[in-house]
Amino acid sequence: MLLIKDLHASIDGKAILKGINLEVNPGEVHAIMGPNGSGKSTLASVLAGRANYEVTAGSVTYRDQDLLDMEPEIRAREGVFLAFQYPVEIPGVSNVYLLKAAINSVLKHRGEEELDAMTFLKLIKEKSALVEMKQEFLYRSVNEGFSGGEKKRNEILQMALLEPYLSILDETDSGLDIDALKIVAHGVNTLRSAERSMIVVTHYQRLLDYIVPDYVHVLAGGKIIRSGDKSLALELEAKGYGWIEGQADAA
Amino acid sequence: MIDITEHYTQQYHSLAENLPGNGVEWIKTYRNNRLSRFQEAGFPTTRDEDWRYTTVRPITNKKFTSIGDIQVDRYALISSKVAEHSVMDFDSYQLVFVDGVLMTDFSELTALGDGVQINSIADVLRQRPESIQTYFDIDHAEESNGFTELNRAFSKDGAVIELQAGVCLEKPLELLFLSFGDEALAQSRNLIVAHEGSKATIIERYVSAETGYSLTNNLSEVVLDKKSEIDYYLVQTQSRDAYQVSGIWVTQASDSRFSCRTITLGGILVRNEIKIRMLGEGAHCDMFGLYSLSGKQHVDNHTTVVHGAPNCTSNELYKGVLNQRSRGVFHGRIKVEQDAQKTDAKQSNNTLLLSRDAEIDTKPQLEIYADDVKCSHGATIGQMDEVSLFYLRSRGIDESDARSLLTFAFVNDVLREVGIDSLKESLESILSSQLISDRQTV
Repeated sequence: MLLIKDLHASIDGKAILKGINLEVNPGEVHAIMGPNGSGKSTLASVLAGRANYEVTAGSVTYRDQDLLDMEPEIRAREGVFLAFQYPVEIPGVSNVYLLKAAINSVLKHRGEEELDAMTFLKLIKEKSALVEMKQEFLYRSVNEGFSGGEKKRNEILQMALLEPYLSILDETDSGLDIDALKIVAHGVNTLRSAERSMIVVTHYQRLLDYIVPDYVHVLAGGKIIRSGDKSLALELEAKGYGWIEGQADAA
Repeated sequence: MIDITEHYTQQYHSLAENLPGNGVEWIKTYRNNRLSRFQEAGFPTTRDEDWRYTTVRPITNKKFTSIGDIQVDRYALISSKVAEHSVMDFDSYQLVFVDGVLMTDFSELTALGDGVQINSIADVLRQRPESIQTYFDIDHAEESNGFTELNRAFSKDGAVIELQAGVCLEKPLELLFLSFGDEALAQSRNLIVAHEGSKATIIERYVSAETGYSLTNNLSEVVLDKKSEIDYYLVQTQSRDAYQVSGIWVTQASDSRFSCRTITLGGILVRNEIKIRMLGEGAHCDMFGLYSLSGKQHVDNHTTVVHGAPNCTSNELYKGVLNQRSRGVFHGRIKVEQDAQKTDAKQSNNTLLLSRDAEIDTKPQLEIYADDVKCSHGATIGQMDEVSLFYLRSRGIDESDARSLLTFAFVNDVLREVGIDSLKESLESILSSQLISDRQTV
């Protein structure tokens, strides 16, 4: 699915990622944890193709293609989805318009027929129910005036609609209360399958109680300094990031 | 080289004998006074405070000529141009103007029923000038400039539209102005009188039937009696060699409502002057504006709202999208007179700059002489938001579509004020194709 080799990236000349290696196979869920400023969000942004990050070395292969060579919209159409840490408010563009444009761009790219209004509405109703989103949110401007939890649910709604092969959730748990967290996790878990993979970027272990990962990686100083199974997340929770950073420095 | 003021003065004199109504003493005096004022004032320059950001030199460097009657042998061509430029599925009454001249043969003058009288200004001045004397002869010294004086000196083309008390026009009335280029000077002067409780939607729409330089120097005066309501549109989609100076001067009596949308997508140098005077208690006016420009287009929206009576409200929102080397000017004047207590006036001008070379000059001007008023104004200038752009692209929308979508989103709160679906769709489609072609020619 995804193979990251020795990935280096910088912003405004400042190196953030300093040699990331990661392999994600179909069906796997990988959690990436780490202290603030470790490069977690940068990794998510680089994978989605945000322009202000410069990749200085390394490669990323996604389903046998060079991911870094693709425009962000092509990545999306090929099945890469980034759930934003801070979903953007776009006044004047209705949510339903964005959802329809998004799904149709993906279908068109795959050579499939675009959805007619009826089919689309039926589908969106079903997906909205999944994240317990009221219909009225569809007709409001994208994320405008949404609460933190509503914004995150809207991200998961988009994800559920587009059914990506590779979902990258960037701190989707931040700013969520426990009820919203459960709804979001339910949406994500519904999408789990043998052919889909996920990268869950988070600062806290809490989210991983609900979205149980196959692997946990600790990112610090722009590198993955430790990998393990879900028990690593619990250990981190108990001992804090200082523990593992100390170990890495000593090594 | 003869002086440009002299050029137009000579044109006036060559026509003067035949100007409609000149046999009537007050009309003749009126015209002569306007001409003298034009000669004294000349055309405005950037030394005039109200024209600081707009030079009319491209206009005064050329000699435009007022055309005479339209010959019948052009009718077939005119007819096809009217069809070509009509908005699809737009159910309206239509008045057609060719280079400023009202074409009665192409216009629905009588279809609107007994409650609405539409005549050419020439016919009214010839047959019953006294019926419009009160509106015609008002001296707007404070508001005039060389262009308006020139327009009023000629006063030969245009429509007089009168809505009787209580009449409600069920279909919009569209004034379609076709320009045929050829350095024509189009100067129509229109008068719209809405008597008590009447209601109508009126659209001035400007298109180029053919390319070539043209100057449109129009003036429309709108008089709203008590409790009348007018929805007004000024829609400009001419070609990039059209010059236009447009005046819409509005007087509102108590409890009347005037709402204007100015949509400017065409022309090379355009100045729109909307001046609203609310003289009766409880009147309300809205002014919405949208301009999307590229190349070397220059559009100056100059608005004035006078709160001349208590308890009046006004609301103004202008949005501009400026690409390439285009330039926008917004000047919003709000004057609250001493006895206009409980005034509520809002104004804002927001601009999206899509290029380093584009420029906006925005100037609010508030003059408040009453003490119990609410007045607010604001101006913002911004660029395309890169994070929003990335967000849309990360959902599979290609860059070009994402940029259009964000531009539409920016102007959406003005576009949605276009309450006629067919017209709105037509404008959206023009705007959309302009945005795409502008990006391709960067």
